[in-house]
This record gives sequence, structure tokens and C-alpha cells, in this order.
Amino acid sequence: MNIKGNLTKILVINVFFAFVTIHGSMAAEKLTVYVVNYPLQYFAERIGGEHVNVVFPAPADVDPAFWMPDTPTIAAYQQADLILLNGAGYARWINRVTLPRFRMVNASAGFKDRYLEAGEILTHSHGSGGEHAHESLAFTTWIDFSLAAGQARAIAEAFSRKRPGLRDNFQKNYAALEQDLMALDRTLKQMVSKDRARPFVVSHPVYDYFARRYGLNIKSVHWEPDETPTHEQIMELNRILKEHPAAWMIWERKPMTGSLEGLQAIGIDSLVFDPCGNTPAQGDFLSVMRQNVENMESAFKKD
Amino acid sequence: MFTLDSFYIAWKYIRFNRVKTATLVACITLISFLPVALERLLNESEKQLMSRAVSTPLVIGAKGSALDLVMNTLYFDDELPELISMQAANRVMDSELALPIPLYVRFQARGNPIVGTTLDYLEFRGLRIAQGRQLAVLGDCVLGARVAESLGLKAGDSLVSSPETLFDLAGVYPLKMKVAGVLEKSHTSDDLSVFVDLKTAWVIQGLGHGHQDVTKLQDPTLVLKRTDKNVAATAKLYQHTEITDENIDSFHFHGGLSKYPITGVIAVPNDNKSGTILRGRYLTQEETRQIVRPADVIDGLLQNIFRIKNVLDAVISVVALATILAIILVFALSLRLRQREIQTIFRLGCRRATIARLLAAEIFIIVIMSGVFCGALIWLVNQFSNDLVRMLFIR
Repeated sequence: MNIKGNLTKILVINVFFAFVTIHGSMAAEKLTVYVVNYPLQYFAERIGGEHVNVVFPAPADVDPAFWMPDTPTIAAYQQADLILLNGAGYARWINRVTLPRFRMVNASAGFKDRYLEAGEILTHSHGSGGEHAHESLAFTTWIDFSLAAGQARAIAEAFSRKRPGLRDNFQKNYAALEQDLMALDRTLKQMVSKDRARPFVVSHPVYDYFARRYGLNIKSVHWEPDETPTHEQIMELNRILKEHPAAWMIWERKPMTGSLEGLQAIGIDSLVFDPCGNTPAQGDFLSVMRQNVENMESAFKKD
Repeated sequence: MFTLDSFYIAWKYIRFNRVKTATLVACITLISFLPVALERLLNESEKQLMSRAVSTPLVIGAKGSALDLVMNTLYFDDELPELISMQAANRVMDSELALPIPLYVRFQARGNPIVGTTLDYLEFRGLRIAQGRQLAVLGDCVLGARVAESLGLKAGDSLVSSPETLFDLAGVYPLKMKVAGVLEKSHTSDDLSVFVDLKTAWVIQGLGHGHQDVTKLQDPTLVLKRTDKNVAATAKLYQHTEITDENIDSFHFHGGLSKYPITGVIAVPNDNKSGTILRGRYLTQEETRQIVRPADVIDGLLQNIFRIKNVLDAVISVVALATILAIILVFALSLRLRQREIQTIFRLGCRRATIARLLAAEIFIIVIMSGVFCGALIWLVNQFSNDLVRMLFIR
């Protein structure tokens, strides 16, 4: 009886240690993925689930497109199993730091031919290099939800290459994410198709892909939500409105009351379509985008 | 056979005829040392060349001398192969058959090659940081162990790139690089190199640069011409020669980086089949690039070296034979000159065998002395063969 009891104890201890070891090794196999913006973080977490540890180190109060990580953060990026880039020139700091090329994945590489130039480019020349420009591509690719799905697909493929054994899992998660993104895509398409000619003014030149995909008729100004527009900016808007009689301005974030009232005085309503480049204060990418679509609906309902 | 007395008398004779003895010792030492040293150095060079070549699966570069390409890519030789563009590395990446490691080995810093590459190179070669940190931002450099030793540099110091031509006054200013770290010794060409990010190498070339925002220039002496679509700056526009936290945001590259120059690409195939398929893609007549297996190229080089070695061996054998004959002649003449001395010894009552022992003891001492010197020289060659090969054959 005593021997039997001891054997049982040994068996239980062995099973416990085996469980701890297996669990530990599975945890060790978790992919560490560093990303350059919040949409990629969301896509990676949805696709990778419990098998990935996604890190987006940019502080919440900065625009990740223009952020520059410090040296310890760059070192952390260098240690990652995968570094997900948005592509289209997003996060210019990539060109100023050293990252392992083998582990970098440009999530928009599959649709490079569909990149858009960002407005007019001023060229300059100095020395013997001739005339050149600081080329600039529009980079808010993910608010064209079909392109967002393309980026998600690239992430799923990258994860599958790293962990072939989990391919089915990643593909299943990607399919669910794609379904969510394409549902938003269809809703927006149907909404805009009611009145494609309806003019809009956008507060920032970040809606190029959005406008191209859904056929929105937009003109861009450069207004900050947390700054009252200057006299010159209002004059510029008035000039635009003469040829482009918009009744709505689309903002990245809720603007100051002064801006709202100023716009209302000249007959322009405001709505928010948050590109959600950084982690939202509330909700997640999908809930923010659903809210954005709802906000857009108000513009198409109201005559 | 020999007695202590015969050695004593022989030693006295040798000491008295110092010049003659020194000449004989030098002749015997050199003639025995040369073939052994040559053999050791060739074996070491073969070992070094082949080990690096074998560990580098494929190299892609412009069509032309495969040897120049391999020597530049593997050993950072000063001979610059024809340049190719980053498109060559992207093509390998897109093929998904191999992982590309681009290299731009063109510039120097205080006589040491600057190797522009990606972090993947350091990982591929297993180079670890001994002191400081890894490359992180534009303008950082990581030094090979021997560069750090010879220049007396450590992490936190700075190193300035050397201008390509001294008299190019209108050329690009040298870049002051920050030493981010020092690599562990690897006993390869990597120890003698300065590693920078590929983009830093392009900044050294002037393809990427940092300056004031030309659209916001207020000083009229800085603006040559301003139109709606272009601002032409004068030569007075200051371009940064050091990359700091304050000015790093102003550094930029013009045009797509895929058009930027590199000297070669190391391709690491997924497997043998992928390597073969990749090689097949560079066989067409229209192809402007070549893909080579460094092991084949270095093997060809070694074949030539060994052919030369055979000739050298023959020359050394003839010289050795001539030297031995000369030494025999020296001894024969010496015996003739010493005829009176030998007669005196004989008359003193020494037997002919004793006289023979005396002469044999002299020869024995000379040979032993030569053997000791030869052994010491071979020991030195063995100790420094790695460096000697690097100095004489590889760099």
C-alpha cells in the first residue's frame, strides 16, 4: 500500500513537471511581433491570437507615422521575431534606423502598384545632385478596408511562414477578420453610391485611399483638431468652397468647439472619421471604424 | 662516439671563425625554413580562404571578374567590382528561394574597409558585440576587434570616413560616425572592418544627406532660385557631416532605395534545390548579373596558387641542392686551408679518427644551431600565420 502510494505521488509529480515543461515550451514558442502602428497591432492580435505577443511601443500621445523610437526601443525591435511595417512610406524612422531585413514584413507589399502619391511635391536642388524631391506617398492605406484586408492577409502569411504548424489557425482567424473588414467595406460602398458627387472637405490629407476606394469627392485642407483655424486657413477654405460646395468637413478627431462653430457659421457640419493610427482611448480598431461608418451615415442621411 | 673534448675544441674553433659559422648557419637555416614556412602559410591561407568561402553559399554581383566580386564580398578587398543596385537584393527576396544580404564595400575609414550591410550579415556570420551596443541609428558604426585595437577606439568614440580621392574638393564631406560597439574577435576579415548600416554607407557617398529645410530658408544667400515647384539652394547650404539626435530627422534619401548602389549580395538559399533554381535564373545571355559559388572561385584561385607553389618548390629544391653543394665545398676548402692545423694535431698524437670526430662535432654544432634557428622561425610563423596570411595573401 505504501509502495503504491509512493508510486502514485511520483506519477503525479512527473505529470505536473511534464505539464509545466510542455506549457513552458509552448509559451516560449510564442512569436514576438513588433508593429509600427495600431491597425497592424489589431490585425496581428486577431490573426495570431494566443500564439503571438504583439508589441506596439509608440506612446499613446504621438502620431506613430512621425514618431522616432529611442535606442532601447530600436534594440527591442531588432530582437523581435517579426517586424510588421505598414509600407507606403509610413513611419519614416524605418529609413533612419538599423533593423534586420530578414524579419521585416511590409504588409502592403502585395499592392505596391496601388500606392498613391501624397498631393503636390516641392522639388529642391543643391550641390551636384540635380533636382530632387522628398517623395511622399499617402500612407493611410488601412482606411480602404479592402487594402486593410490585404495587409491582414500578408500578416497571416508571415505568421504561417514562421509557424507552419499553426497555418490553419492563422487562416481561420484571418478569414474572420477579413469578413469584418469587408462588411465595413460593403456598407461604405453602398452608402457612398447613393450620392457619389456629394462634396466633402477633409481636415487632413490622410483620406486618399479612403476616397479612392469609396468614390468620395473630397478636397483637403490642413487643419488641426486642437487648434483654432487661422484667418489664412479660413480664406483658403472659402476659396475651395467656391468650386467645391461641401456641406461637411471630415476630421481625424473631434475638433475644438471654436472650429465647429466657425464652420457651422458658414454652413459646414463636422463629422469624425478617425484613421486610428494609434491605440484608441476606448474600444478597438473595429469598434472605432464602425463608429466612423456610422458618422459617415449622418452625412449621407442629411440633405 | 663524440667526447666532450671534441665538442669543446669544435666549439672553440667555431667561436674563433664566427663569420664563417654565421654564414653557414644562415644558409642551412634558410634553406630548411623556406619550404616549411611556405607550406605552412599556404595551408593557412587555404584554410582561411576556404572556410569563409564554404560558409558563404552564393554571391551575386555584376558580370565581370568573379574573383574580384568574391574577394570584395568575402574579404572586403579594395578592388571595387562593378556596382549593382539594391534591386538585385530585392529580386532574391521576391524569389523566396533565398535570403539576400546586400553589401556595399567601397569606402574606408583610416585604412580599414567600411562594410555597408544589414543586421542580417552580423547574424549570418555569428558576430557578437563584445562592448557597447548593436548598430541602431543612421551614422552608427560597429568596429571589428582588431580595428578597435589598432585605432584605440571604444564604444562612444567617433570615427571619420576617408574621402575617396584626396583632391576632390567639391566632393562629399567625410562623415563622422559614432562607434556604437566593438565586435568579438572572429579571426576573419570581419576583425579588420568597420560595419555600418547600408543607409549610412549611402550617406557617406552623399546619396542620403541632411540639411536645413530648403522650403523654409529665409537667408537669401542660400537660395539660388525659387519657383512654385522647385527651390534651388546655393552651395552655401550647410549639409550635416555628423548625424546627431538633433539633426537625424533632416536626413533623407532621394528616389527609391531599390536604385541605390551595392557591390554584391550574399544569397542564403532555403535549401539545395532553391539554390540550384536560383543559380539557373542567372544563366540567360541577357542577364547583367552573375551568381557564383565562392567555394568554386576560391578553389580555382587555390589551384593557381598551388601550381605556383609547385614551381616555387622546384626552384627551392634547386637552390637547396646548390647550397648544400656550396656548403660541402666550403667544408672541403676549409679542410684544405686547415691542413697545417690537422697535421699539427696528428703530430701531437691524435688518431685520424679523433680528427674526424673533431670535424664531425663542428658540423654537428652548426647543424644543431641551424635547426634551433629554423625551429624558432617556424614557431614564429605558426604563431603569426593567421596575421601573415592576412597581410601577404588576403589583404
